[in-house]
Amino acid sequence: MKCRPWGPLVAVLCEFAATVAIAAGPDFAHEVRPILSNRCFKCHGPDEGNRQAGLRLDVREAAIAELDSGARAVVPGHPLDSEIVARITSTDPDLVMPPPHTKVTLTADEKRILTEWVEAGAEYRPHWAFVQHKRPAVPDVRDAKWPRNEIDRFVGARLEREGLAPAAEADKATLCRRVFLDLTGLPPAPVELDAFLNDPAPDAYERLVDRLLASPRYGERWARKWLDLARYADTNGYEKDRERQIWPYRDWVIRALNADMPFDEFTIRQIAGDLLPGATTDDIIATGFHRNTMKNEEGGIDPLEFRYLAMVDRVGTTGATWLGLTTACAQCHTHKFDPITHTDYFALMALMNNADEPEWLIPGPENDARLAATRRSLESAWAALPGRWPATASGPAPEQLAGSSDAPPLPLDPVAEEGRRRAGLAARFDAWNRQESARAIRWRIVQPDAMTTNLPHLVLRADGSILASGDITKSDVYTLSLPPSATPVRAIRLEVLPDESLPDHGPGLCNYEGPKGDFFLSEFEVAAGDERLKVAKATDSFAGMAAHSKTTSTAAATIDGEMSSGWSTNGDQGRAHAAVYALAEPLPPGVPLTVTLRFERHFACGLGCFRLSVSDMEHAEAHGAVAAVEDVLVKPEAERTAAERELVFHGFLSLAAELEQPRQDIRKLEAALRGGQRSLVLRERPTDNPRKTFRHHRGEYTQPKEEVAPATPAFLPQLPADAPANRLALARWLISKENPLTPRVVVNRQWQAFFGRGFVPSVEDLGYQSEPPSHPDLLDWLAVTLRDDLGWSMKKLHRLIVTSATYRQDSTATPALVDRDPKNVLLARGPRVRLEAEVIRDGMLKAAALLSEKMYGPGVRPPQPEGVTEVAYGNPKWNPSTGEDRYRRSIYTFQKRTAPFAMATTFDGPTGEACVARREVSNSALQALTLLNDPMFVEIAQALGRAVMAADPDDGARLAELGRRVLSRPFAADESQALLAYLATQRARLAAGDLDPVKLAGGESPDVVERAAWTLVARAVMNLDEAIVKR
Amino acid sequence: MNLLDVTRRHFFRECGIGVGKMALAGLLADSLGRPASAGSVARTGPLAPKSPHFPGRARAVIQLFMAGAPSQLELFDHKPKLAEIEGKPIPPEVIGGQRYAFIRPDAAVLGPQYRFARHGESGAEVSEVLPHLANVVDDIAIVRSCRTDQFNHAPAQIFMNCGFAQPGRPSLGSWATYGLGSESDELPAFVVMSTGAGISGGSANWSSGFLPSVYTGTRFRGAGSPILNVDSPAGADMRLADETLDVVARLNRRRLAIDGDPEIATRIASYEMAHRLQTSAPELMTLADESAETLALYGCKPEEASFARACLIARRLVERGVRFVTIYHEGWDGHSDVAGNVRGNCQKTDQGSAALVADLKRRGLLDSTLVVWGGEFGRTPMVEASAVLGRSKGRDHHPNAFTMWLAGGGIRGGVTHGETDELGFHIARDEVHVHDLQATILHCLGLDHERLTYRYQGRDFRLTDVHGHVVKGILS
Repeated sequence: MKCRPWGPLVAVLCEFAATVAIAAGPDFAHEVRPILSNRCFKCHGPDEGNRQAGLRLDVREAAIAELDSGARAVVPGHPLDSEIVARITSTDPDLVMPPPHTKVTLTADEKRILTEWVEAGAEYRPHWAFVQHKRPAVPDVRDAKWPRNEIDRFVGARLEREGLAPAAEADKATLCRRVFLDLTGLPPAPVELDAFLNDPAPDAYERLVDRLLASPRYGERWARKWLDLARYADTNGYEKDRERQIWPYRDWVIRALNADMPFDEFTIRQIAGDLLPGATTDDIIATGFHRNTMKNEEGGIDPLEFRYLAMVDRVGTTGATWLGLTTACAQCHTHKFDPITHTDYFALMALMNNADEPEWLIPGPENDARLAATRRSLESAWAALPGRWPATASGPAPEQLAGSSDAPPLPLDPVAEEGRRRAGLAARFDAWNRQESARAIRWRIVQPDAMTTNLPHLVLRADGSILASGDITKSDVYTLSLPPSATPVRAIRLEVLPDESLPDHGPGLCNYEGPKGDFFLSEFEVAAGDERLKVAKATDSFAGMAAHSKTTSTAAATIDGEMSSGWSTNGDQGRAHAAVYALAEPLPPGVPLTVTLRFERHFACGLGCFRLSVSDMEHAEAHGAVAAVEDVLVKPEAERTAAERELVFHGFLSLAAELEQPRQDIRKLEAALRGGQRSLVLRERPTDNPRKTFRHHRGEYTQPKEEVAPATPAFLPQLPADAPANRLALARWLISKENPLTPRVVVNRQWQAFFGRGFVPSVEDLGYQSEPPSHPDLLDWLAVTLRDDLGWSMKKLHRLIVTSATYRQDSTATPALVDRDPKNVLLARGPRVRLEAEVIRDGMLKAAALLSEKMYGPGVRPPQPEGVTEVAYGNPKWNPSTGEDRYRRSIYTFQKRTAPFAMATTFDGPTGEACVARREVSNSALQALTLLNDPMFVEIAQALGRAVMAADPDDGARLAELGRRVLSRPFAADESQALLAYLATQRARLAAGDLDPVKLAGGESPDVVERAAWTLVARAVMNLDEAIVKR
Repeated sequence: MNLLDVTRRHFFRECGIGVGKMALAGLLADSLGRPASAGSVARTGPLAPKSPHFPGRARAVIQLFMAGAPSQLELFDHKPKLAEIEGKPIPPEVIGGQRYAFIRPDAAVLGPQYRFARHGESGAEVSEVLPHLANVVDDIAIVRSCRTDQFNHAPAQIFMNCGFAQPGRPSLGSWATYGLGSESDELPAFVVMSTGAGISGGSANWSSGFLPSVYTGTRFRGAGSPILNVDSPAGADMRLADETLDVVARLNRRRLAIDGDPEIATRIASYEMAHRLQTSAPELMTLADESAETLALYGCKPEEASFARACLIARRLVERGVRFVTIYHEGWDGHSDVAGNVRGNCQKTDQGSAALVADLKRRGLLDSTLVVWGGEFGRTPMVEASAVLGRSKGRDHHPNAFTMWLAGGGIRGGVTHGETDELGFHIARDEVHVHDLQATILHCLGLDHERLTYRYQGRDFRLTDVHGHVVKGILS
């Protein structure tokens, strides 16, 4: 991809390059900019709206320019002439900077640094992260034997500069456990551990790494990290927090990572897979990344406000995930620190804002087979329907047809019964046919010559039906102009029609809070010119059906002038209905009509598909029969074809009250036809209905200002001029060679995953406010290598990291080293970090041989203590899964946003409410209680106890087995001694009945005391610090 | 340099939990085989007590969160004018562009459903459905001029707690414990209880957001043991718990000596704290030591979950050094029959709320405990009625004006602050925005809402964002 050259920054950078000369003075990037950024930029930075005294300190030429006051903030080389120095050192509360009311103060050290910087020439340097990387030279190290690859030469050179030496390599068992945990999120099973320990080949470790990278467990492990960024969850969030279907996206991530999809493709598909030429089903599912935003279904919300908030989330998440920029800070105003303007923010939003957000039915052989099978069942059900006609002695009178049937008990003689059944059916059909034919109305479909709405997009189709799409509101109005009629108009018919593009196939557009596919027509108005025409009577086919005879939402409610009442066909989604409006006075030929449809409820509920017809016949009323049947019914019997007669009979069967019960099966099958597996995706909007993006004053939804065109932030490379500025362009730009940020962000995040800390600890923010990188050259070397040499392969990057000597170091920390480098920034030892919630649970399951390797599919519910979910809206219950679903990997745990899985929350797991680039690692009493007492862990301890008992009859051997399962090592002598003493004590207490062995072991068995004793030992070992850390 | 020094420094610098002095001294002594100097290791870690920005009057906060939004027009904000014009719409120029959840802006006015009377020496006006609160009006400050930005439950609840309407930011209780730490070695610093239905905003209401997760509210369950997993497994006893803790600690100390990672010391301390929780939690929840008179004051039964019982437990928590307690009572969303809704909820909450104030006062705890009562927004002067939804004589959500009350730590009793217009639609005087309330609550704790910041994603975040003024008019 070719990008236009850099924006204004290029010029600025060239200037910097020309002026880099002075060596003395504080380092701008490390010492000066952090002070300016933290203390000054808020009022003297990029944000024009908030800039004080016209002074801007983030750009050198502005800082040294003469101000309105005549002073100069910075006079390079002359601190005494520089206003900035005068102000920061002033003791006058009216003059001192920062001013007292900001409650920001400079330390003496900070004042000194700024003064020395001015004295040394006040040089600026470009921010490292915004500068295009070039591959740094790999340094030499004195100890040439230590490095295993380039990473080690960077790390080693730094250690040598610091006067430190790397730690020795970790022992084989420790290393095996570490790399298992890192690459697969699981500890090694004893047999896997032994295979490695007993492999004397010099490349045993490298081959182990390759095996782990090829394991399906790798994708599950790394997908979890990606899902933190994607803010994945299985519910919508906010009050109702209903279940959603987006797990196919989660599965896509797992598959993509297992297949080692290069990160550039991985990016493009998730941002814009639907826009790829020849997009596959998988490409479209991948766009679920940005459908993981929350959706508010609370009563009475403004749906577009929450759609806007979802867009805000998308901009912030894209910034954190790919750019390492806190783009979210520019929602309300120009960024206070980084060079992102308020308009830049909305230009970035505009790039992503032109998509519809359907619940997409996943096509494919599975869906085809499901549809075919359901259709076959439906056909049989229809064919069998006449046979289910009740065998009453004689049919009820035709006029009772629409009413309920009180059939007398069936007689006993089967032959006579069948005869009566057929005779009854024939008589009833005959009567119905005559009655309906007599009152059928001849309709003429009219196609509007103009259609306007407040927002939804209407498209007229060849058959005269109108399909709505796009954004909807709680108060939608469709205005349709009908051309003059050649005949008088006595009645208007509004057909509401199903369509596969609509939620639950329509006929309505309702897609949140209310019933999917519902509509609510509050008012139907018809006018000739300015004159509102009086409707004498409004009837509808829905209320005309026996099952809905009690509904108050009838067509009559659409002409009562009351917006809170109206017509709906809820409960009959996927089926056509019609409302008929008989005019009080016939309209003469040649007069154009205007029909206005008003939809208003506490949720958005416009019509999705409909059609208008007119008739010049009198006594027009809606009956149950759909339009196609009525069109036949108006014909004399003799003129009807065989197919038309079949259609009429079918219409009868679908309405006859006697078949109400048997028809329930058909309704279920029809609902199944509309079902199928869906996933939330993005779909670019049609070219005739693009969505506009505006700058919102103070970032508020209710304050849209000028329209903003899609673009990337002005200080970064721009999009190519020769392609549409859309999501696909954004996606390609994110991973383009011109973008200096993405590879750095990706590499930094991977480093964090292995070492517990990124080169820059704020992995979501590489901007001015971030700490300078600990190993800038290694970061850039890895970034360039990943992009240019490794083809964005994450597996290759991971292999490079875990095969380095740096990674393979022992993690033991001497007191001196802890004091010197408590956070292990310099990497003079291996990583030692507490495991994530999922790894803790999955690892324990594996140790107990309970872990199911079943992959993919809907979320499952492992057991958790009672009362966790009840606090959420509606007091939902958590019914634990049974069978192997109880023991699936945690990535498959059902994620409810308002009441997340308790154990995960306790161990700092995400809620899915916001993009998380770096999890907190806490250490709390609640964690201890969870591991000790959570019924899930007690169940695991019981299974683990049984597993070690099965391994060997000897206590010592059992204990060794336990150590190998949980800690990947047998216990040392003093540890064994302590644990065996504990075992002996508890065994005695269990045998004596002081403790209840049946309860502790989880059930009766002949060896229940032993089981209970080993449960307790297993539980103790599971509670060791070492059991939940990577070391 | 030895391990003890390193560990001690580590505790000061970055440890995960507050640790009892003796426990830590003890474990260090054990791990090193020689006694640690007990005085040298103070309570440290993110939950260690911290000095406020200035001396605060309140040491603890009890927040009575009336979720669903009570009708101020039936409880505190008496508007006879509404009775006069009942059935007529409110002039459009009054309504402006206000958005509503369910009703149309032209909905008719609904008069107050209850009678009001003046009470106490202060003559504060409250309605007849608050007979118990009427007895303590001289100890509370009624703020009739509250305003929020949000008109839907979940965002408004989260806004009230977190100063931001979407989930993901720290809640008031988290900020308070972040600012002041905990004074309890045995109980969580921030406790959340709930009665009534599930809560619209869910756990985002007590989230620590981007603050370290130790500041997350710990939810006490209504039934069973309050804290998840505080009970040992079925069949166990206390001696087993002791012995298990003992063997785990021994092996962890051994590991600490080998690996040298100070986090192991924190882990050991976490288990000590967990062990104390197992004792302190049941003791807390057993109301056997409360007098019959106290139980009668609250009107609660010791074994039966209720709002009043939660209030009594809140008092016990505060007595034990807990910093912040929130009790959610969900159920005030009176879209239909607002009179019945208010009466029902008052029957459940009035006595407990008033008893809490009275009980704290007689125990000398009210001066150091701030009590805050209120919902996420108010309710409309207009009626909500809908045949389709089967609603009548209800009130819709109203963000423009609502009432809250505060009492105790730093608050002047007997004050009625702020005023709404004669329709109760807009604030006429002394508006108190949600951010002002938050600033005031922090102020009572001795925290300056502009200085209580946390650096996240390159920015210093505040509970009150860039807003908020302390409401001086209600301070004592």
